[in-house]
Parts: sequence; C-alpha cells; structure tokens
Amino acid sequence: MSISDEISARLTPYIGDFNAKIWVKAVARRELGLTPDALTAAHVEKMLDGLRPSLSTFMGRGAAEDLLLQIGREVR
Amino acid sequence: MRFRWLAIFPLVYVALFILIAWQLGGAQNLATFVIGQRIFVRLLAVVGCFMAVSVFERGDHLRNAWLWLGGGAILILILDVLRQLPGFTDNPSLAAKMTLSGVGVLSNLALLAGIWTLSRSWKLAAIELPGGRGAIVTISTITILLALAVTGPDAYAAVNQLLGGDVSAVLKLVSAVVDVITLCLITPLLLIAVSLRGGSFVWPWGLLTASQVCWLLYDGADGLTRLFSLGGFPIAETFRGLAETLLFCAGVAQYLVIRQVRRGVLAVA
Repeated sequence: MSISDEISARLTPYIGDFNAKIWVKAVARRELGLTPDALTAAHVEKMLDGLRPSLSTFMGRGAAEDLLLQIGREVR
Repeated sequence: MRFRWLAIFPLVYVALFILIAWQLGGAQNLATFVIGQRIFVRLLAVVGCFMAVSVFERGDHLRNAWLWLGGGAILILILDVLRQLPGFTDNPSLAAKMTLSGVGVLSNLALLAGIWTLSRSWKLAAIELPGGRGAIVTISTITILLALAVTGPDAYAAVNQLLGGDVSAVLKLVSAVVDVITLCLITPLLLIAVSLRGGSFVWPWGLLTASQVCWLLYDGADGLTRLFSLGGFPIAETFRGLAETLLFCAGVAQYLVIRQVRRGVLAVA
C-alpha cells in the first residue's frame, strides 16, 4: 500500500472515500508539489500538517489532532 | 458504531404523531396535543444542538455553527411558550406583538447564522464538492426555484400586511426572507453530505440536510393542504416535528462521531 493510500485509508472511515482521496491529492499538490503516488514516508509529517486545517474545520481542533497523531503513529 | 437508529427515530416519532393526531381528529384535544408535541420537539432540538456544542473546543468552526443553531432553537422555544401565555394569545397588546416579533426575528436570524456557518465549511476546508460546477449550479437552481415558489407568496403577503400597518407582519416577512436564504443553503449542505458518504461524518451532515428539506416541506404544507383534502390534519406540524427531530438526531450524531474520532475506534478498511 502506498503512503497516500495509507493516509486515505485512515481518513475514509470518518470523511468517506471521496473526500479522503481528494484531500490527500490536494494537500500533496499544494504542500509538496507532488502527485499522491510520489509520496514517501519522509512526506508524512508535511502531509499531516497540510490536512490539519480541513480536518479541524470538519471535526474541531481536538479531534483533528487526535486523528493526525494516530495517523502519524501508524503511517511510516 | 451504528447510526441508523438516528435516521429511524424521526420516522418513528412522526408515525406516532400521525397515529395520535388521526385518532384525536379535529377536536380541541388535537390542538392541545399539537402544542405539547411542538414544545417537545423544540426541546429535543435544543438538546441535540448543545450535545454537538459540547464536543468542540472554544473557537472551533462547527462549535460556532451549533451554538447559533442552539441559540435559535432556544429562542423559538421561548416564542412557542410565550404564545401560550395570557396576554400573548387573544388580542395581544402592541407590546406583546412587538415582543413576539422581536424574539421570532432573533430566532430566525440565529438559525440562519447557524446554517450559513455550516454551509461555509467546504470553503474554509478548501475541499472540492462532488459533481463539480455543473452539479452545484443545477442543484442550486432547483433549490432556489423551490424556495421561492414555497416562501415567495408568504413574503409578498407579509409585505402587503406591513404596508397596511400590521407590525406583527415584520416577523412573517423576516421569516419568509430567512426561509428563502436558508433553503437555498440546502445545496452546499447536501453536497457536503454526499462528499462524506461512506464515512461516519455523513450522519450529522445528512441528517441536517434532511432537516432543512423538511423545513422546505413545512413551508409548502399550506399548498399541500390546498391541493389535497386532508380533513384538518396538521400536515405542517408533521413536517415541523420531522425537521426538529432530525435536527436533534444531527446534533446527537455530531456528538457521537467526534467522540468516535477521539477514541480512535474506527478500523482502517
């Protein structure tokens, strides 16, 4: 499983498959100038930082932080 | 965690309402029952909104949205209670009319602020809505036309009443204008809900959207009554009950999904 798929898979149970893929794709492009396929473990932290604003809007800062911490622990 | 019961509860509630209302017929008992259940569903809506507020932190975008909705729900509950008090029912004084209009206008504005804040979430989150520009334009056009068809006549009548010197028409006019704007905001709510399909967050957004659709039906209930002979059956109250119980369930769903995230209970597919 690629890094982008790993991150998407952890977002999907909450925000659905459509948003998970779109958000990961948008953040990879905006924050790193990369396609999702080009992401490596070294990009995970930057990806999580990029996902923070959108997740905070939809689930509040506390829940977003918890989820990002969980993803950061599990995706390496 | 299963959320289906949150979608089933409003349907069970409304089925019970219809059953009891049908049994009571056109009697005085029906009016008492309708008022009682109206206050009950308002209370449920308040509880749901503040359950949602309780899971967010101060300054969170959705906390503000639910606070507005909760504030509006409290004000509209106060309005319904005031309407039952002596001095506000038969031949109310100008002061009583102004009080009712003031509370009514504030409640409408608070509810609008809540829906407006929710509908802006996709912009703040910088996400794409499903279907692209075509879907947004199509659904928006349909919603705007429906909203105008349903609430336009009320707005026109309220303007005429106001011009005729009836102060209480201020509430009707503000309600009609707020209804048009709120109903137009169904589009972003619906598209956000669609974009969340497959995820647990679809539940609060889907139930909120359904609640707004029921308000559209509530506004159109007069037309339905004219079209079909319903024998004095309180069809508008049915949709009101459905809208408020759906708002309650949306608040509960919001509370549950946030707790779910914080506990990290959902497994990766």
